[in-house]
Amino acid sequence: MTIEVVEPGPLTTVQDAAGRPGWRHVGVPQGGAADPWAARLANRLVGNPDGAPLLEATMHAPTLRFGTPSAVALVGELDASVDGLPLTSGVAREVRAGALLRIGSGRDARGYLAVAGGLSVERVLGSASTDLRGGFGGVEGRALRAGDRLGVGTATGGRHRWLGQWPSGPIRIVAGPHADRLDPAELVAGAWRVGADADRTGARLDGPALSVQGPTEIASVGLPLGAIQVPPDGRPIVMLADRPVTGGYPVPAVVIGADIGRMARLRPGDPVAFASVSLEGARDALRRMNDELAALEALDAPGDDELGWAGSHG
Amino acid sequence: MTRVRPFGEAALLVDPLPGVEAQSLAASLRSEPPDGATGAVAGRASVLVEFDPLRTDADAVAAVIEERLGRPAALVPGRQRRIPVVYGGAMGPDLADVAEHCHLEAAEVIERHAGSELTVEFIGFAPGFPYLGALPEELRVPRLATPRTRTPAGSVALADGMSGIYPAELPGGWRVIGRTPVTLFDPHREPPAYLMPGDRVRFEPIDETAFARRAGAPADW
Repeated sequence: MTIEVVEPGPLTTVQDAAGRPGWRHVGVPQGGAADPWAARLANRLVGNPDGAPLLEATMHAPTLRFGTPSAVALVGELDASVDGLPLTSGVAREVRAGALLRIGSGRDARGYLAVAGGLSVERVLGSASTDLRGGFGGVEGRALRAGDRLGVGTATGGRHRWLGQWPSGPIRIVAGPHADRLDPAELVAGAWRVGADADRTGARLDGPALSVQGPTEIASVGLPLGAIQVPPDGRPIVMLADRPVTGGYPVPAVVIGADIGRMARLRPGDPVAFASVSLEGARDALRRMNDELAALEALDAPGDDELGWAGSHG
Repeated sequence: MTRVRPFGEAALLVDPLPGVEAQSLAASLRSEPPDGATGAVAGRASVLVEFDPLRTDADAVAAVIEERLGRPAALVPGRQRRIPVVYGGAMGPDLADVAEHCHLEAAEVIERHAGSELTVEFIGFAPGFPYLGALPEELRVPRLATPRTRTPAGSVALADGMSGIYPAELPGGWRVIGRTPVTLFDPHREPPAYLMPGDRVRFEPIDETAFARRAGAPADW
């Protein structure tokens, strides 16, 4: 079964939730879905394993034509439709042969589209994720183009609707290893907006210039997802999926794992507020996120209004 | 004094730690991971150890790290590698500046660089990018004030007492004194990087006519 890319959107790539974390000792970034929670959820909605390859759409996004019947799920607040009928985030939808799926823009910077069976993409260094800088993985190491055809695997699991919700409120941070050089309270006190230059490498923030006490560079350290680096120009960067393996700037704080997805879905210009939590609070948040992702309601086979193409069956 | 402290709720940072010990500890944690550990990444003088906080806790992982720190660093036997390089000219646009900065002739810079046996201390910054040290003190130069947005693939460069090689076209602030035709990183090969920490590297000057002939993956990959 193939999906034809009719209109690619500005940056639509094949990703998987985990990326390739096991090759960082040779300098290969982890990569993977910028919002790993949304990617896992989208896969669960169509009965795929969490790690199945899927599409990450950025800002406004692709138009796809389906060669044979299938099921899809979108996770992310992007306007979408199947054959002109609205496609809601968080619930699986059957698509007929020849169906046209359009994804537009919305409140989120990124959205995830999973197809039942997962996308058939060769794994490179253990992952289907696209390494754009390195030019490998996904579809030839690049963003989708009009005319690309994507293969799909065999569907195994059932369809679902999500009953959970994402957390809201400030983005939670914990103190980082260089909190003695820059108090995380300054991040909490500042009024921030996501910069125009935010990308999969990191969300650079606009706001008050921060100044670090002591040396402005550090001996390069491995960077976990969510590490907030403060370079000499004082503009903090929240490191995301395509961050380099190591970084040479102080890290006063780290965005907690439970909030990295929300961070990755913020659009340039969106305001960002931070709140400090304890390590234990961060762990509790992680536990709650896993519980939310498990809040799924199985949908019946076609015939269920939610799944069927409302109106005509032609 | 080496400390083990949190780096977010899902990782620990072990620092400061001399580079060789950091490589050794990271390799040990990758080959025999503590329960619940998900990764170990060496920095210049540190190791980041990641774990799943829902399967284990920081204290349990830290205890294993402490035990491993007590073991003598296992020095990975490095291989000998020769990297052919065309020095200067269009392929080494910063050679003249480096010579001037170091109060040497260009030929003397080449002689000292090619005459050194360097060790791959660390792979980072980009896939397969080797940090080679230590250069003779007379070749210590700062980074470019304005980094290049594009440094050609194969560029052999110097910064802060180290030499590096750009495996792909990348932005960069190192001073480029030459270019190698050999491939250093290929994600479809096993292993994907030609140079690994611990390898001993000598640069071999070649002329431009030999450049095309030596292009591609080295025979001893």
